[in-house]
Amino acid sequence: MTGKATAGWRPLADRLINYGLKLGADEIEIAFSQSREFNVDVRLGQVENLVEADALYCSVRLFKDKRAVSFSSSDLQVSTLQQLLRNALKRAELTNPDEFSGLPAPSLFKIDFNSLKLHDAEIYRLKPKDQVKLALETERLALKDKRITNSLGASFTAYEMKTLLVNSLGFAGEYPQTYFSLSLGLQAGSGDNLVEDYWFSSRRFLSELARPEEVAQKAVERTVRQLHPRKIKTQKVPVVFEPLMTSWLLGFLFSCVSGTAVYQKASFLAGRLGEKIAGENITVVDDGLLPGKLGSRPFDAEGVPTQRTMVIEKGVLKNFLCNTYAARKLNLKPTGNGDGYGVVPNNFYLEPGPYRPEEIIRSVKKACT
Amino acid sequence: MMDQKNFDWEGKTGLDLNQAKKILNLALSTGGDFADFFFEYRLSRSILMEEDLIKETSENISLGLGIRVIKKDRTGYAYTSEFSLDKIKSAALTAAAICQSGSVNRLPSRLRHLHLKKNVFTGRKPATLAALDRKIDLVKKAYHQALKYDPLIKKVQVVYGESIQEVWIVNSEGLSVKDTRPMTKLIAMAIAEKNGRLETGFYGGGGRIGLDYFADKLTAEEIGREAAREACLLLEATEAPAGEFPVVLAPGHSGVLVHEAVGHLLEADFIRKKTSVFSNSLGKKVASELINIYDDPTIPGFRGSYNVDDEGHVPEKTLLIDRGRVVDVLTDRLSARLLKKKENGHGRRQDYTCWPLPRMSNTYISSGEHSAEEIIRSVKKGLYVSRLSGGQVEDSGHFTFSITLGYLIEDGHLTRPVSQATLIGHSLDILKKVEMVGGDLDFGLQTGTCGKEGQEIPVSDGCPTLKIKSMTIGGTK
Repeated sequence: MTGKATAGWRPLADRLINYGLKLGADEIEIAFSQSREFNVDVRLGQVENLVEADALYCSVRLFKDKRAVSFSSSDLQVSTLQQLLRNALKRAELTNPDEFSGLPAPSLFKIDFNSLKLHDAEIYRLKPKDQVKLALETERLALKDKRITNSLGASFTAYEMKTLLVNSLGFAGEYPQTYFSLSLGLQAGSGDNLVEDYWFSSRRFLSELARPEEVAQKAVERTVRQLHPRKIKTQKVPVVFEPLMTSWLLGFLFSCVSGTAVYQKASFLAGRLGEKIAGENITVVDDGLLPGKLGSRPFDAEGVPTQRTMVIEKGVLKNFLCNTYAARKLNLKPTGNGDGYGVVPNNFYLEPGPYRPEEIIRSVKKACT
Repeated sequence: MMDQKNFDWEGKTGLDLNQAKKILNLALSTGGDFADFFFEYRLSRSILMEEDLIKETSENISLGLGIRVIKKDRTGYAYTSEFSLDKIKSAALTAAAICQSGSVNRLPSRLRHLHLKKNVFTGRKPATLAALDRKIDLVKKAYHQALKYDPLIKKVQVVYGESIQEVWIVNSEGLSVKDTRPMTKLIAMAIAEKNGRLETGFYGGGGRIGLDYFADKLTAEEIGREAAREACLLLEATEAPAGEFPVVLAPGHSGVLVHEAVGHLLEADFIRKKTSVFSNSLGKKVASELINIYDDPTIPGFRGSYNVDDEGHVPEKTLLIDRGRVVDVLTDRLSARLLKKKENGHGRRQDYTCWPLPRMSNTYISSGEHSAEEIIRSVKKGLYVSRLSGGQVEDSGHFTFSITLGYLIEDGHLTRPVSQATLIGHSLDILKKVEMVGGDLDFGLQTGTCGKEGQEIPVSDGCPTLKIKSMTIGGTK
């Protein structure tokens, strides 16, 4: 990565914290992120777009007399950040005190991220022309299939981000991460029978990314299988969900076990910890510590260490996912899912069962997938 | 540092017009046909109220520049949030890497500064200049109005947001243009509960307006009350029927269907790539004769409006479908060149990290001749769709939408409210099946955002009451 590493931002973070405390803030949290992206889109054998960029960002939360205010900026001039800090303190006077607000307890802080495998140094060796080649090759392989009538394009992205988080209660942590993705969208058929679909692979390590052959084949399969659909009658039948659709459904479950939705009483699961809410075969986990996975991180946006949290165990609702604020509201412990004011999943997944997909499909006489 | 009347771009970037010219020449040095700068400063603020507390206020500054080089249909793009001369030059060379050869174009010796004559901003002054306590007052009014609407209302959340975006665009054809774009919104969400059932109502307003809008056009109290009213109404809604029925779309909110199922397919990038189901439809009849569709970025005060697009083109009200026939598409610079069509000022971007794409602004079906009452009376058994929420549509024209609130139509009258249904269809099919168009054009809430290729931009949409001969409803009964 060009420019200074996030560690270079530490003196600025300390300076801003001291400035804020001197002006009367009780607690301050500052995050710096520095990111770099390379993206290429190809379509019909030609490079269509090429993007290369780096970005800096600073975000700050502060608390005064239990009143919460925040600001962020991509303009990192000290004078700008100090002005924003003064504005924030002024706004705090018009904000209501909230006994649940504030930074997490310092006793929670601990950092261990070397085992997480979030960063692939291969990103420094990757040449633009290799990245272009991966995208071109993926599309080329798919277009060999005669049933494919048009391409929505193939893309390759390489992304690196370094995060530094410092707070006035003594937390300081930083970690780097990388992300690579290869994707392809296709169309088949025409007119009223025009269909489209896509496939992608995204990984933290380049060596683990799906090969162009695999992405192309999956994208073709998923597109052509939609050709000539039959219209079905309205009916009640068993439904089999493929993994991508199951994870879409899990998104809804997440929004119901998020501590924010629970304390807001916007979730039907509020107040039901310990109850059986699903079948024995349903176990759902959030795990921020899985090595190499996209949702892993050593600590959340508030500096709370991430962990493995059992959400639903054999159908029984075990835990809600909480940031510091939701945890205080619900009298629970934060689970390392904080994202400033909100709650986000880390790696949120349904534990696999004993069956292979073919066995599941074979078990159904008549159904929709 | 902010809020000044004429934004000091030269001071902020340390660049004068002459240096900008030199750097654009550098961007063209590898053989590009065209290059441009997009400088952006955006100040955004928000206020959140829930649980009877003004819980948080935030302020955000986004400052940066994007530089683009085009060679035929290829785009090189780089952006940075640092304004050192070295950083800007390096970004120019990165974008220039899209081409390796070709004759080198140079900028004309004199730059032309474009002065914008009209202003879509209708407020007395941008909300960003008003005192914070006035905005907190609006938030509290909406909040308390929603809460006291009915004892069934268990929770209210109100969010106020405002921003002011300053842009400076300079391109290799010698154009330089600056614009100031204020935006404001106030939204309320209310949750009603009855016998363990939870329903959420939503309402809001805003646009390119000042705080005076909330005194003259749509009050904070009205926003709170409407959110609460919808939540309570939804508690009474029962399951929707499934099958094929005549469908009557309510005016205003149903505009999202026009946006999703027609507007996107007439964006010129999908047309030139031939991925849109309308790619070969220019000049052809695709819809009922009753249908006229416009996209108009010049409507004063509207959320989708702008004085100049993000490529420096002054926008025009664009007639897309004229009595059922496709007569135009939404173009940005690149797609207009490639399709050999006129630019109509629809090149928009989310921010400096993105290059422009052909996008909608305020999209609508214009009014027809029938009254809403006549239209409803003409249906024996069908569904009246009041409020649609999230939908999705493919370039191929297939779409699905969730119906948040609807009513059964029985013997020409609206009867019981229904919810939890899905509207399923194909753009080509429903456009042809429009049987009646009301004279009551209205626009949906001025709070909407449209996403495309990861870029979110403010838009609005509208339509009059519409009758569609038959559509597929995914319901439960």
